Amino acid sequence: MKGVGNIMTDNAVSMEEEQKRTIKDRVTEVFVYGKSMAPALIILLILLIAFFGIMTPNFLTYTNFKAIISNFPIIAIMSVGMTFVLLIGGLDISVGSILGFTAVNVALFHHIGFPAWAIVLVCLAIGTAFGSFNGVIITKVGINPVITTLGTMALARGMASWFALDIESLKLGRIFDQKFLLIARLYLPQDKQIIPITLIYVIVLYTIMSLVLKYTDYGRKVYAVGSNEYAARLAGININRIKFSSYVMSGIMASIAGMILVAQLSLGRDDAGLGSELEVITAVVLGGVSLAGGKGNLLGVIISVIILGVIRNGMVHLKEAIGISYYWREVVKGAILILAISIDAARLMAVKKRQVVRQ
Amino acid sequence: MAKNITAESNGERQKTRLSSTTILFMFLVVMVASFAVLSKDFYSVYNLSSMLTNISFSGIVAGTLTLVMIMGGLDISIGGNIALTSCLVAYLYNLENPPHIALIILIGLLLGTAIGAFNGFIITRLDLNPIITTLGTMAMTRGMGYVLTQSRSILILENVVGFIGRGSIAKIPFPLILFGVIYTILAVVMARSKFGRKIYCIGSNQEAARLSGINVRRVKFITYLVSGIAASLSGLILTGQTAVGMPQHANGSELDVITAVLMGGTSLAGGKGSVLGTLAGVLILGVLYNGFTMIGFRYVHIRVFQGAILILVVSLYEVRDRKRF
Repeated sequence: MKGVGNIMTDNAVSMEEEQKRTIKDRVTEVFVYGKSMAPALIILLILLIAFFGIMTPNFLTYTNFKAIISNFPIIAIMSVGMTFVLLIGGLDISVGSILGFTAVNVALFHHIGFPAWAIVLVCLAIGTAFGSFNGVIITKVGINPVITTLGTMALARGMASWFALDIESLKLGRIFDQKFLLIARLYLPQDKQIIPITLIYVIVLYTIMSLVLKYTDYGRKVYAVGSNEYAARLAGININRIKFSSYVMSGIMASIAGMILVAQLSLGRDDAGLGSELEVITAVVLGGVSLAGGKGNLLGVIISVIILGVIRNGMVHLKEAIGISYYWREVVKGAILILAISIDAARLMAVKKRQVVRQ
Repeated sequence: MAKNITAESNGERQKTRLSSTTILFMFLVVMVASFAVLSKDFYSVYNLSSMLTNISFSGIVAGTLTLVMIMGGLDISIGGNIALTSCLVAYLYNLENPPHIALIILIGLLLGTAIGAFNGFIITRLDLNPIITTLGTMAMTRGMGYVLTQSRSILILENVVGFIGRGSIAKIPFPLILFGVIYTILAVVMARSKFGRKIYCIGSNQEAARLSGINVRRVKFITYLVSGIAASLSGLILTGQTAVGMPQHANGSELDVITAVLMGGTSLAGGKGSVLGTLAGVLILGVLYNGFTMIGFRYVHIRVFQGAILILVVSLYEVRDRKRF
């Protein structure tokens, strides 16, 4: 009887503890230990929209909404590739340059007279080639991903400038191929022009890739390699193949983003996407994908891509409304990046601490 | 007998280990000789002195970055730091009541110190990834340069700043003197001082360094601080050379500097490398840019070579190290 009583009181105590868990505890449960950054990011997004809506007259308008929606897909698509690379514990800073090289090649092959579908194939081949190059050097030779992709960054950007320079008529790189331009300029209900096709690309891509990461064998392997490379190898996973594939993915996504950018601007220049790697890394890290690898998901990433898009757009409106220099956006970008990795580090530390306490 | 054999094999090992920097300098001599044959203008006093002056601007930063990288860190914010320093100095000089020029230069150097301290504080106290942290600082500093100048170039025709960039003492360009003095100090510090030994120790094994009583945080902080100061000094030199302060200054220079350091045999993993190796790397890159330009290549072509060389050289080091173990 005594024993039963004890169990009863134990249960009662734990029930009481359960009730004692204040709102504060639950909030920390979601925001600090939670698997996804999504709840915190959604709150941040709402606050930002409210802030810009109150501060500027033209932010909350239909036209501006359309502008934001047509602008963010480029960063969003590159972020998918970067998410894979960060998940396996790597880093790819060559994406901006691959985008630039693709942009120049669109202009080049358009100039030669390739049809739209051939240009698309060439661009995909370029992305695959650069991604494979990164992948081979990193997995086979064993060089640090930062150094490798730094080299590729110089290589791709240099080749972009080289190609743009050698063909005089490319100086402007104008694209007039209507079929190619439709890649980014198609709107879905053709008569009403409401939903841009780029938004549909993003939705489809993020849905498929989320499912791949969550439910397929391959996706699970990506997480496994990122969380513990050694354990993954012992479990029989071909880690080099998984790593290689994520760099190829990153290269392909960068070239797709390059095609969309060229189609939007109808202009292929060698400085396209200069510095965009910074924005992509910021978006992915802010979205809760850990720099240490193996942690994070695409839901957080897409929300933080939208957050960055809102900030970029909002800064322009702030300049119109109160005259704050547009150039502050670079400063804001850098500050957000440092803030994002601080949050990442703090969350990792908190989880580690809790594990120690529980043991 | 056995002793002799071990001594001999030790001697041989010593030889192969020594050769890394020696090979680089031999390669440099070969490069200089071949450029001198290929282009008759290469081997003129004017070209050589202008080349060395150009090298000293990025060379100073490469020297201090070597310390950071031997310690296992990385500082990508140097380009942004250089740009912001040049913008701030030019901005202050063009105020309606400009402060004394000595004060302006001091503020410029203090700015670099502050940026270095910011990096050091965040990386050591919050224990964050140095690459991403300094990537953030790079965006912030360059962005502030744009804000300060509103994306314009600000002219600064001032004798003292001009002297830092273009002046010369006894026909030796002043930046080159600075370059030489800083490299001598860095080489001595890294080879002879306690502080240098601590940096190597932290780079090879941070945990072991901490357990053996080294104040890891302080050494790291000081190293990032020094890197920041050197970057602002380079900013002053560049401002003097171009007589203009603009936010696009030194755009992409972090690539040149990191390439030079890696070429000198410093590894990103830390614990390995030398200031002398970096000196060789800086000189090789400088001769490469200058020589290829003299032969008739354009900047964009050399940029492609540079990326290829970076990957090639690091691959060679990697393969060689793999053979040894």
